[in-house]
Amino acid sequence: MHSENRLILELPPDVAFLPAATATAENAAEVFGLDRSGALKLSLAVEEFFAYLCRFAGREEPLRLTLSQGGTFVRVAFRFRAGEVSLRALNFAASVDLDEESGSLGDELGLLLASRTTDRCSLESSGSGVYVLQAEVDRNYPEAEPLRTPQTLCPPIRVPRTEDEPLHAGLLQHAALLAAGHYPVRSCPNSFFRPARFADMVAAGQYQALLAQDGADKPAGLLCWRNSGPRAVVFSGPYIFDDSADQALGQEAARLLVERFLSMVARTEALCAFSERPTPDVPKGWFERLGSLTLRNEAGAESAGKPQAALFRHLREDVGGAVWAHADLEPFLTRQYDRLAFSRDILRVEPTRTSRLPQHSLLATSLDRRRGLAILRPLLDGQDFAANLAAHVQALREEDVDNAPDILLHLDLSEPWQAALFPTLTACGFQPRLILPHAGASDLLVCQHVPADS
Amino acid sequence: MSLPIAELVPSHIRSFEAYVPSRPDPELMRVYKVDHLHRLNNNENALGPPPAAQRVIDGFEPPRSAIYPSGDCFFLRQALGERFGMDPERFLVGNGSCEVIASVIKAFCEKGDNIITADKTFAVYEWVAEFSGFEARLIPLLDYAFDPEAMLAAMDGRTKILFVCNPNNPTGTWWNRQTMERFLARVDGRAIVVLDEAYREYVDDPDFPDGMELMERHRNVVVFRTFSKMYALAGLRVGYVCGQKDVIDYIRRTHIVYSVNGLGQLAARAALGDDAEHILATRSMVARAREIILPAFRELELPYVSGAGNFVMVKTPASDSLIYRQLMRRGIMVRTMTGFRFPNWIRVSLVQEPAMRDFLAGFREVVTQVREDAEGEEA
Repeated sequence: MHSENRLILELPPDVAFLPAATATAENAAEVFGLDRSGALKLSLAVEEFFAYLCRFAGREEPLRLTLSQGGTFVRVAFRFRAGEVSLRALNFAASVDLDEESGSLGDELGLLLASRTTDRCSLESSGSGVYVLQAEVDRNYPEAEPLRTPQTLCPPIRVPRTEDEPLHAGLLQHAALLAAGHYPVRSCPNSFFRPARFADMVAAGQYQALLAQDGADKPAGLLCWRNSGPRAVVFSGPYIFDDSADQALGQEAARLLVERFLSMVARTEALCAFSERPTPDVPKGWFERLGSLTLRNEAGAESAGKPQAALFRHLREDVGGAVWAHADLEPFLTRQYDRLAFSRDILRVEPTRTSRLPQHSLLATSLDRRRGLAILRPLLDGQDFAANLAAHVQALREEDVDNAPDILLHLDLSEPWQAALFPTLTACGFQPRLILPHAGASDLLVCQHVPADS
Repeated sequence: MSLPIAELVPSHIRSFEAYVPSRPDPELMRVYKVDHLHRLNNNENALGPPPAAQRVIDGFEPPRSAIYPSGDCFFLRQALGERFGMDPERFLVGNGSCEVIASVIKAFCEKGDNIITADKTFAVYEWVAEFSGFEARLIPLLDYAFDPEAMLAAMDGRTKILFVCNPNNPTGTWWNRQTMERFLARVDGRAIVVLDEAYREYVDDPDFPDGMELMERHRNVVVFRTFSKMYALAGLRVGYVCGQKDVIDYIRRTHIVYSVNGLGQLAARAALGDDAEHILATRSMVARAREIILPAFRELELPYVSGAGNFVMVKTPASDSLIYRQLMRRGIMVRTMTGFRFPNWIRVSLVQEPAMRDFLAGFREVVTQVREDAEGEEA
């Protein structure tokens, strides 16, 4: 079965079909825009995943392989059923113990290889033994030098309606480079430094963007956003390109961008909008302060060590909700929800019995080296969770000994097993910092790692 | 292999987001931990229905619930015909005016057609068009009012319906006779013009154009009215459309029969026959509420828009949803306006004095608090 940018193949879990899977992946990857090297990476991931799943997935159902074009990347997804699955090699901190006498050595080496050659790996569980294992390979884009040229704007400022006409890719790239040149690295999405990628992301709907222009049609400001979970949008900006003394036109651009942004997302499925990296140009009175993160590690930035506020607003009236919480977390949540006037039923979760857990846990790691920021998300609980988390922290700190990244961990409070992990997080040096309402299946708790030496 | 359900769904439905209504009052009171709730969010008439309608409701015998209502609201249409001096066949009654909006769009639009309305108005015109697969051309308001020139400019050969909410919800602005006449003359019968007059009973200005009269000269005009607002029968859901007989005949073909419940038909008919004093009393209540509330907004230095209708809109010094949550904690429910594309505004229904005073007390507290918080953050 196929659609214009997606191809689905169902295969029996039998290694005899491995060539069919890899050949399909390689062919689809090239059709979907990857270069030769990217296509081989994707094909390798398919080979390793398929071989692994042939051994460990349930045999009663076929393996469903979906290859899709995501604009700036190609994704492979395997949907399979398994009682208990060990995908520990997908952990960022995973290493294969060559002395281990287990027969799984080869299997895990393959997974490890696949996770390292692709740009992102993730695992989703539907909770009924059905898993979706995904990997993505990005298209290659050239890096460009940020633009630091001072800009003076001329009136009037306007924000063209993107509903009527898509933004011109050249203008978007120009604005992305201006943003990269005018704002600290941490305030900018990575794609701003590869502006063609940013423009393609907008064209493919991975990002939505609004551009303010001045009277001479120069870029005056930029604001972009993307979905975060099914019910939230996360925005970046507004980025304002006004180097005049009073910045009156820049402020006008910021207000127009925010107003138009809210008008555009107000009648969508999103319940709220938030930003973990708002710029100082967010107009006052439009967003609420959720809390702040202490960003130690802005490489080369003057603002190192300054608290970074996270901003938020509902797009609809809040009808309340429920979250799971370990007893140790409850005081923090109660305080935060009360301060923010959020109505939440806090449901007490009991610690999961270790003996009932699978042996190995899995954490998703998103590491942005440029911004010096790592975000961890628990994907699977396991008996080794504490050790695995500590290994992740250690591995991330060793990434750059002189300039270790800040480490955040997102807990989805709609999942009791994730809420039950809280004492393990605190024991590992994580502290709760803020709540992102509706950012996951429910609210997300953002914890930040505070090294013992800080 | 079975298809994923999404593959069976048309793209305009997949991309459409269903409206999520407010939770019921008891649930909201539980969630916000309050023992009372002033409903200032839906522009309901807090006086309740006219006395004759109340008597009908009181006297409704439960066994009558077992009997189907009149499928086409026979007696109610007769009463409407009598009131407006028209053939009852020129009326079509629906389960609230939302149902007749859908019937009109289904009757006149086909693939490739479009409707035109404002971007900041009652959202149902836009929603019904979009989930039916038709383009909704949304024209920005001009000084909080529908912009006739821009609406005319947006028309093309596939424009089938222009929706004019007069007075507009949520701004309360309205076109006077001259503006309306000019607009209709320039539409020149090329499309159906819907005049949604849900709030017309709140206007006593002689310059307000009467849709019932306009449709006699402009055969493409249809008028929506409702028993939900002035007549305070929102819980029974009765609205209607009136137009030329041939126009209504077409709309009837797409309209569901038996959709209006029996009690609603009886109560609406009774309300229509006993509305004179009720309308005066309601207008008086609304005027008094306006007298209380507007000076307070001025004193707080908050911009507001107060036109016709039983509501006002006020700009908030913080996110409207934050103001909503803080007011809900005080037992006061208002309507946030982000969904109306007026971020950082709330709409407040105008009701009896005690509720307005409770609202103002809570609102002052909240505004003071958010201003102090903002100053604290700046410091």
